[in-house]
Amino acid sequence: MAALAFPRHIRTPPKPSSFSNKPKAKARTRISVRSSLAPPQLGFSDPFVLELAEALEDSLPSPSSPKLSPLQRIRDASSETLLSTPWPSRKDEPFRFTDTSFIKNSTIYPVSRPPPQSLEAPPASCEETQLPQLAIVDGYIVDFGSNLSGLPDGVYVGSLSNATSESLVERIGEFVSGFDWGDLFWSINGVGAPDLAVIYVPAGCRVENPVHLRYYSAEASDEGSNRLPLSNPRVFVLVEKGGEVDIVEEFMGGDGNRCYWANPVLEVVLGEGGKIRHSYVQNQSPCAAHIKWTSVQQEAESTYQLVEVSSGGKLSRHNLHVQQLGPDTVTELSTLHLAFNEQTQDLHSRLVLDYPRGSSRQLHKCIVANSQGQAVFDGNVKVNRYAQQTDAGQLTRSLLLEPRATVNVKPNLQIIADDVKCSHGAAISDLEESQLFYFQARGIDPKTARKALVFSFGAEVVSQLPNSFVQKKVENQIRELLVPR
Amino acid sequence: MASAPPSLSTARPPTAASPHGDRRRGALPPLPSCGARPPSRGGLRALRSVPLRRCVVRAALSTADRSAAPVESGEGKELLLEVRDLTAVIAETGQEILKGVDLTIYEGEVHAIMGKNGSGKSTFAKVLVGHPDYEVTGGSMMFKGENLLEMEPEDRSLAGLFMSFQSPIEIPGVSNADFLNMAYNARRRKLNQPELSPIEFWAYVYPKLDLLNMKADFLNRNVNEGFSGGERKRNEILQLAVLGAELAILDEIDSGLDVDALRDVAKAVNGLLTPKNSVLMITHYLRLLEFIEPRYIHVMENGKIVKTGDISIAKTLEKEGFKGVSEM
Repeated sequence: MAALAFPRHIRTPPKPSSFSNKPKAKARTRISVRSSLAPPQLGFSDPFVLELAEALEDSLPSPSSPKLSPLQRIRDASSETLLSTPWPSRKDEPFRFTDTSFIKNSTIYPVSRPPPQSLEAPPASCEETQLPQLAIVDGYIVDFGSNLSGLPDGVYVGSLSNATSESLVERIGEFVSGFDWGDLFWSINGVGAPDLAVIYVPAGCRVENPVHLRYYSAEASDEGSNRLPLSNPRVFVLVEKGGEVDIVEEFMGGDGNRCYWANPVLEVVLGEGGKIRHSYVQNQSPCAAHIKWTSVQQEAESTYQLVEVSSGGKLSRHNLHVQQLGPDTVTELSTLHLAFNEQTQDLHSRLVLDYPRGSSRQLHKCIVANSQGQAVFDGNVKVNRYAQQTDAGQLTRSLLLEPRATVNVKPNLQIIADDVKCSHGAAISDLEESQLFYFQARGIDPKTARKALVFSFGAEVVSQLPNSFVQKKVENQIRELLVPR
Repeated sequence: MASAPPSLSTARPPTAASPHGDRRRGALPPLPSCGARPPSRGGLRALRSVPLRRCVVRAALSTADRSAAPVESGEGKELLLEVRDLTAVIAETGQEILKGVDLTIYEGEVHAIMGKNGSGKSTFAKVLVGHPDYEVTGGSMMFKGENLLEMEPEDRSLAGLFMSFQSPIEIPGVSNADFLNMAYNARRRKLNQPELSPIEFWAYVYPKLDLLNMKADFLNRNVNEGFSGGERKRNEILQLAVLGAELAILDEIDSGLDVDALRDVAKAVNGLLTPKNSVLMITHYLRLLEFIEPRYIHVMENGKIVKTGDISIAKTLEKEGFKGVSEM
């Protein structure tokens, strides 16, 4: 296994440029892994990665649409990157506390296409079926029962390949393959995504009902078999100037201990004055690997609000990148990670501010209630030279409830501007004794008191979920976790 | 050592022998008593010097109040709390705070403890309810015949011992309604009564809010979160009203309250007093004692109760300070 001398993940910050409508003028030679013997560009290639990339390429249908469709361009750009991106090791800073050997030591294979029984996705509750939704099974978009007719004019929710409007496809093409901050997993998704789901909101349009994306991995192997089917769902959201939409992403693990690797990517481009409320609920199977990328580009005066509740997966990592592309933006990130089993919950977030008067609040809470459980947090906020009068706050609070439960937090603010208001805080503790005693002094036994206090610890984040049916669902999930087995 | 406490500790055996069952100790808090209170406390004070006779008089008065209660004269009242030579230290440092406290409280009595800062008043209260910061090193505490030292804090609370904290803490994320519901249901479970659903509980709690002049939205707020000092104290008394107790220990319930709030709180406490339950107040000032009139006032100094008397102690304290009291 070759060691790579050039870490690809260190980048110079992009210069603040005005938002241009022209396609990116970067000259990129597109090299497909299969067809060219071009030498690797920087350092050595990682054979393991190359093998995986080839397997993914083989699993996809040969492109029927024109070569330059957005999806094809994503694939080309990603496969070029993969030539020189090694599998991360514990020596790389972004993975210092996150052990990915669970994935690397298994036999990884792409899911067979299309999913064998697409009707296996867990049924939605009756409330949910009223709302516009898209089911994404093993990375393939399943359109039935989606109830998309109630959406306002001009709004498009569905697969890119089904999009009838040429201008929409062109518009989307302007944004793809422009992300410099990705890592190996971002590129793996780029190479292996079978389809691109699109949520498009035209200018000035306010979508009343939340758009519900339900992800499910139908293909899975049994626990202990050491095989991981890999799926790469990919979604692109474009909200034009002044548009507003709520997006709910729900990852469901289904019953039993099913093993799989889900590697989703969500790309969001939020136009000027737009508003997105993003709810992300992750309840994957306890043996699964889940590595998600969320990349958000915020134009001036836009508002992006994320509420995340992650409780499943054996290894769950959320990479979040928010890039500010204009002044006066509002970014609110609230995340709750629950590690009640032998699992790792990881949040690596980055907020890059290059324009003045941005306002951001980040609250990260995690509860580790298992002696083999682990939570990791790396919250990076870059307040660059031109981001004057920024108001950025970050707070992380962790609850460790069992001996040897571990949490690694690294809140970090990199501030270059000199007229800013920034703060960060971190606290790690067990439940407060004085609060427990207060319960006892009122006749409530310690077990019930602990449950109530743990639930209320998470409630600060859960209460921020904007849609009540999602909130209720999550509250029930948490209550179930709190019941001692 | 303290002068012989006015109540009878030697005259009769503790109530361990008396059957608890038929006394319905665990009954849910009675409705605010509408019966007349013992009419002339002045009359009682006059009898202070004659312990035995007072007991009889009290029994007679309580029979007058509760028409159906068959109380034998001389038997009178049940012993609620008996503390003998209690010593306690701070668990972390081992520093001794209580150095031999003796106290006896019968049902239907109102006691008050006053003393200098640092004399051990709050510590005494906390030790009674089982606060983990303190460790008992000697002596005994019996509550209704049960040994408190062998009971966990939640069991002591379910037995009927309530303490209103001096600085109630916040519990963000847990609403008042949920908290009270949990505590109330814990009591119902203990009495083998069916628990109340949130709606039934709401109907039960709602009228109590009026008692304390509190608004309805209070129940939706989180426990003590963002509450002013006065609101927190009111919350404590609300919990007392909802949960009920045989012995309510009020630790400096008057600190931080303005006159109106104090009047409301005192009115609520008085309304909860019955011949069957008692109150132990810890306070610094005469003002509270004018609202909730105590039968006995104890002065605590240096970890011990050094003097016991009636309201005149408080008056002397107000005028002359602790020096004046020690010369009484």
